[in-house]
Amino acid sequence: MIRLENVTKIYNSEVTALRDATFDVAKGEFVFLVGPSGSGKSTLLRMMNRQEKPEKGAVWVAGRNINEMPDSKVPHLRRNIGNIFQDYKLLLNKTVHENVAFALEVIGRPKHVIRQQVPAVMDLVGLTGKQDRFPHQLSGGEQQRVSIARAFVNRPLILLADEPTGNLDPGTGEGIMRLLDRINKTGTTVVMATHDQRIVNMMRKRVIQMDRGIIVRDQARGVYE
Amino acid sequence: MWSRLAYTFRETGASLRRNVTLTVAAILTSAVSLFLVGGTFLVQRGFDNLLSKWAGGVQMIVYVNPTATPDQITNIRTVLAQNTNVVDVSKLDYLDYARSLEEAKRLFAADPGTLNLLNQTNLPTQFKVVPIVGKTDVLVQFEKSFAGLPEVKKIVLARDQIEQISKLRDFVQTVTVGLSILLLIGALILIWTTIRTAMYARRREIEVMKLVGATNWFIRIPFMLEGLIQGLVGAVMSCGFLLFFNRLWTNGVVKLKGDNGFQALVVSNSFLNFVMLMLLLFGMVAGAIASGIAASRFLDV
Repeated sequence: MIRLENVTKIYNSEVTALRDATFDVAKGEFVFLVGPSGSGKSTLLRMMNRQEKPEKGAVWVAGRNINEMPDSKVPHLRRNIGNIFQDYKLLLNKTVHENVAFALEVIGRPKHVIRQQVPAVMDLVGLTGKQDRFPHQLSGGEQQRVSIARAFVNRPLILLADEPTGNLDPGTGEGIMRLLDRINKTGTTVVMATHDQRIVNMMRKRVIQMDRGIIVRDQARGVYE
Repeated sequence: MWSRLAYTFRETGASLRRNVTLTVAAILTSAVSLFLVGGTFLVQRGFDNLLSKWAGGVQMIVYVNPTATPDQITNIRTVLAQNTNVVDVSKLDYLDYARSLEEAKRLFAADPGTLNLLNQTNLPTQFKVVPIVGKTDVLVQFEKSFAGLPEVKKIVLARDQIEQISKLRDFVQTVTVGLSILLLIGALILIWTTIRTAMYARRREIEVMKLVGATNWFIRIPFMLEGLIQGLVGAVMSCGFLLFFNRLWTNGVVKLKGDNGFQALVVSNSFLNFVMLMLLLFGMVAGAIASGIAASRFLDV
């Protein structure tokens, strides 16, 4: 589903964020990217949805080299990739329902599709009954669920999560992980950057460990270390 | 399709409401600058009308009484054409009644009353005389001898009329063109700033849109529509100003007594309509393009 080949990313011609990174992620796999801040986890995620382009190497998503993809095709690539962030990136002036529907609206999905898919995903993330609330009326965990609903409402092939439990207490974080696990079980590939040791150890999924831009460990059913 | 249209109009409306102060400033500046642009066209047209009888290097007009017989007209032509060292015979042109009436329609556009009174018995025909290059001063010396020819009504020299008018035209043109360019730049910068501000206010939304796969055009179009509306409203206001001031000017000129030449400074309604149409189109296109460019700068997410 995702393949990185000798990917190197250098910022401002001096800071090397990634050095020669190579790995594959199979369809339906759940992968943790772990490592300290600044180790290159977020950069890796940004490579996968073409927010960044590498200086060297190739990034393949669903069989296509996305670095050679023309800019006009990038929106179509991104419709197959959901994104979840530590700070949720919700639109504060929109209700829960509007936030989720927004993701379908801006890619031109017709109203009847929106009416059908939004309640279904709200049910999946456990927010039924809260669709008319605004983000500030929700807890952090609930806001992250809205963010997950928005990322998943278009049924993407891949979900990229950047520290999704970073702002949450341990219990709430576990709830979010159970939700991501359920989504993963529907066949969606999940790549999640985190330095939440407890969660990695609890999930026992594949772990790719980064250190100063280099992949230092790639382990199936791994733990944080 | 409908949901996209509904989205575009909803977002444009919301953005215009959010940004009221800047929007009003952009609209007013566009209105004043487009008004000046339109005014420049009208003034230019007025001067062109005024000077049209001198177009093509004509330096002397010999007006011939309407009562002149064809023989007398031929005689005048012969005398004029004899002076081959002064008159450029190849450009010697005789405007018969039909062509003189055509010219009068331009010159008296503001004065249909006078125009209606003109007929074959009172409208003089005319010879337009172009001197050989460098011989204008010599031509002027012939004025008196031509004036003595039978059935010559009067002779008018360009030198007396053109110089002052041209100086005035150049001055007015420089001022109006200069001012309108400056104000137009100001208006476009304001539209640009309005759009940038609107986009900055919505940067989070735009980031989310980009990440969920909205195309750049989808994001850009509501902002372009916003710029287009600002340009259009400014242009409509400028057309209002133009109509108002043109009417004031036309009414003032019509009230002036006699053939003082000012009648030519009034433009026809069809030209006024053409200028207003151009302003509307220009306002919309410039507004949309300025905001489209401003929007593009924000889309590199």
